[in-house]
Amino acid sequence: MKKLLLLAMASVALTSIMAQPTVAPTNEQVGNPRGENSGDYNVIQSYELGYRFATLSGDGGMYDSTVNYGDGIRLLSSSLTVQSRDGHGLLFDHLVITTQGLGGDPYQSAILRIEKNRLYRYDMMWRLSAYVDPAETISFGEHAMNTTRTMQDHDLTLFPQSRVKLFLGYSRNLETGPAITTIQLYSSAGNEYPLFQNVHEETNEYRLGGEVKFLGVRLNIMHGWEDYQENSPESLTSPSTGNNPTMPSQGNNPTLGQTLNSFQSNEPMHGTSPYWRVGLFAEGHKFWAINGRFTYVAGKDAFTLNENSAGTSVGVPNQLQVVSFGNAQRPALASNLNISLFPATHVVITNQTSYSNIRMLGDSYFTEIANGTVVSPVLPFQYLGIQIFSNTTDLMFHPKKWFSVHGGFEYSDRHINSVQGQSNLGDPAPDQAPYEQSNQLKAGAFGFRLKPVKDVTISADAEVGRQNKPIYPISDGNYQAFRGRIEYKKKQFRLAAYGKTDYNINSDILTSYASHERTYGGDGSWITNSWFSIDASYTKLHLNTLGGINYFSEGIDISGESSYYVSNIHSATLGARFAILKRADLFVGYSHVQDTGDGRATPDGAGLYSALPAFQAAQTFPLRYLSPSVRLSVRITPKLRWNAGFQYYGYREQFSSAQDYQANTGFTSLSFSF
Amino acid sequence: MKLLRLVSAALFLTTLSTAADYVGSNACKTCHAPVFNQFFRNPHYQSIASGKETPENTGCESCHGPGKAHIEAHGGKATIVAFSEIGPEKTLAACLRCHSQTLSRANIRKSAHTQADVVCTNCHSIHSSKAPRFLLARQEQRDLCYSCHSTVKAQFSMPFKHRVNEGSVQCTDCHNPHGTFAATWGMAGRSHMVDQKEGNEEACLKCHADKRGPFVYEHASVRIDGCQTCHQPHGSTNPRMLTRPTVFTVCLECHNGAGQFGIMNNGVIHLSATHNMADPRYQNCTTCHVRIHGSNADPLFMR
Repeated sequence: MKKLLLLAMASVALTSIMAQPTVAPTNEQVGNPRGENSGDYNVIQSYELGYRFATLSGDGGMYDSTVNYGDGIRLLSSSLTVQSRDGHGLLFDHLVITTQGLGGDPYQSAILRIEKNRLYRYDMMWRLSAYVDPAETISFGEHAMNTTRTMQDHDLTLFPQSRVKLFLGYSRNLETGPAITTIQLYSSAGNEYPLFQNVHEETNEYRLGGEVKFLGVRLNIMHGWEDYQENSPESLTSPSTGNNPTMPSQGNNPTLGQTLNSFQSNEPMHGTSPYWRVGLFAEGHKFWAINGRFTYVAGKDAFTLNENSAGTSVGVPNQLQVVSFGNAQRPALASNLNISLFPATHVVITNQTSYSNIRMLGDSYFTEIANGTVVSPVLPFQYLGIQIFSNTTDLMFHPKKWFSVHGGFEYSDRHINSVQGQSNLGDPAPDQAPYEQSNQLKAGAFGFRLKPVKDVTISADAEVGRQNKPIYPISDGNYQAFRGRIEYKKKQFRLAAYGKTDYNINSDILTSYASHERTYGGDGSWITNSWFSIDASYTKLHLNTLGGINYFSEGIDISGESSYYVSNIHSATLGARFAILKRADLFVGYSHVQDTGDGRATPDGAGLYSALPAFQAAQTFPLRYLSPSVRLSVRITPKLRWNAGFQYYGYREQFSSAQDYQANTGFTSLSFSF
Repeated sequence: MKLLRLVSAALFLTTLSTAADYVGSNACKTCHAPVFNQFFRNPHYQSIASGKETPENTGCESCHGPGKAHIEAHGGKATIVAFSEIGPEKTLAACLRCHSQTLSRANIRKSAHTQADVVCTNCHSIHSSKAPRFLLARQEQRDLCYSCHSTVKAQFSMPFKHRVNEGSVQCTDCHNPHGTFAATWGMAGRSHMVDQKEGNEEACLKCHADKRGPFVYEHASVRIDGCQTCHQPHGSTNPRMLTRPTVFTVCLECHNGAGQFGIMNNGVIHLSATHNMADPRYQNCTTCHVRIHGSNADPLFMR
């Protein structure tokens, strides 16, 4: 038994190298892993307090978008577990608090669980994530964001182990921060003007529910209210000549002489989505199990838009006001019924029937006033309804402990209704034209799992599907996916190899869209002994797609060309951990991502598939993103460790250096427990 | 084969055993002291602490079956329910005896994990978990998932990704490893265990509530085929986790007016003649079509 426990602890050591994504916080444990007894409780705790630093050369915007670690003192991580030793604590029996990155990291979290046996359980999760969009030049981005999203979830369960349970919950999701957006004025061929935007999006959700068990069946009912508010006003901070100030005033691009002197836009929205969820499930019977769920969401959204702009268009003063308001509704209904049958000892048959119906409808009013003239009086709300029925049957057969096989068939029927206006802005009241589209999917799946010898597992799966009327050229119309994996695992040594293909072909009169995705790789880990362990992985992800395009170039309609895209991504990770004289732990890690593209050295294509240089340049996007790291953790006392680490990030695009960067990040910290 | 018969017999006995076959967890302590002494940390200890559960639902024997025969035989895996021996099918059945009683696990029978014989003990370490919650077999949830899903691990190593490796996003924010109901987007195909919002809506909307609408003018692809039409949700080498490095190729692969595609059955509308694709100005579609996920004021998503 002791040996077993040692093996388990060694597995935990392996855990520390399975994925070392960021150099801090450290994984090395401090304090007694079995905790300290305090009265009737056992306490395990650890804290890591340190200083994180980062130096950067190159494009700071891209660094902020992809990494974003900065300087400062951080509570890099903390963990506190208080456990009742006899299960009869006064106020609680189990308390867990874990945090990460508090004090200024761009990615912070705090998790709390507290529970008293049979009485209550409370879970809280708080997270913060800083999001930066630097308006990447490669994608011709012109929208920048520097926002922070904070999310919190609170869930209280009363009487968690009893036949009758009560649930209360609250979630909040808030995104705030500055952004740059654009507006095109004064027509659909006008100039584009950068605007400042103050982003504020807020969601509050309240949940109340209960569960009761009777006659071997559990009934779960949840009622929730989701409240969404958005008010992200846009404004012009100073008169602007737009993104195209020198474009000649001719043809379809009359931007010369256009200026925007003032602009203000407010579009407050307030949405509510009250919902009901009813779940019914029964399990544990000898021959069958059943569960079902029914949900209904009555989504509503009240909105108004008031946009005022003033400037000149081709040298002529121009004032434009746009007012829109309305009430949108989004009722969504979904229901599921799952039946599992166990007709024989090693046979499981499951059948799932589902139905969903979501509609978007409502009332809206639109008015555009250009230089005092009402241009577009009213545009009606467009209706969109989606109805899906699906039925899936799967069979699993376990004739032997070392062999199992499964297969299944799915039928899905989707019906889409749409009512749209035929006219653009400025036309009289548009026609109301209803459209319908139906599509059926038939898909079969088959797979097996085999253990030919004790330490080897082989598994394979296949799925083939056909849609008779895929809605988009890139939708799964005629697809086939195969996946295989072989794994050898013996004690603390593991080696696996896998491969996957996913092909989709969608025939059409313009062209045949084809997508070929092939993934293969291998990974392994090995704990040789108590002082050394290693983990490595390699994955190759290949994707090529070919789809027909139709566009205008210099006023000429170009058809018959294709958009061809190739991506060949090689991703490798390596992690090694050394324990030095039971005093120090050294971790060395490396992550490398490289898209070799289609092999070309310059963005210029060979003129294949499209004559337009822009399409040729978009056919592939080779880049390299690598990150070596090293970390040293020294045990000073059983309750105190000193840690230091360094992590380098290098981002380099092959065709342009404008967004490349090199960042040196690191930290030093103390891990301690009381 | 002999062993299998014995194990099957042991499981069968679990259901047919009389109260006299249950010896109580204290009897297990004699030989399994290291496990028992740490068992108070285990959520399963609640069954002992409550003192109100029946013998077959209390402590060690609630999972391992009655211990009398095991003791009389002085140990041995053939006389007890040993999870290292019984295989995935019976492991799942043993755990579901209690743990089926949660709605979030209602679909475990048809989940891709179960079909691949990945069952409870592959992800949960009942007696030696170091995770603070859920008895996970790895300290961090992501490491647990990565141990099989190497491709996903590679995707989260990309420059543009959800921040799973950084700790602010978890796999279970979007996925339910115990199985999910059919998707309400796409064609309701096999959902890859993508979990839905409470109202069965797409998982992305849990955080990205501003994309939810309803909008007067919906970008139909968002609603009908889902966010993955344009985005790679795990990670990408392309900004904004788009499926292509440049925006216009994302758009034009659908907006080509081809055949019977689209909700109007006459092709997804292609560009007008005002769009000169030879001009870089028109190669960033979202500069003008700023409300690309849906708009309340413009059918072309321009405000």
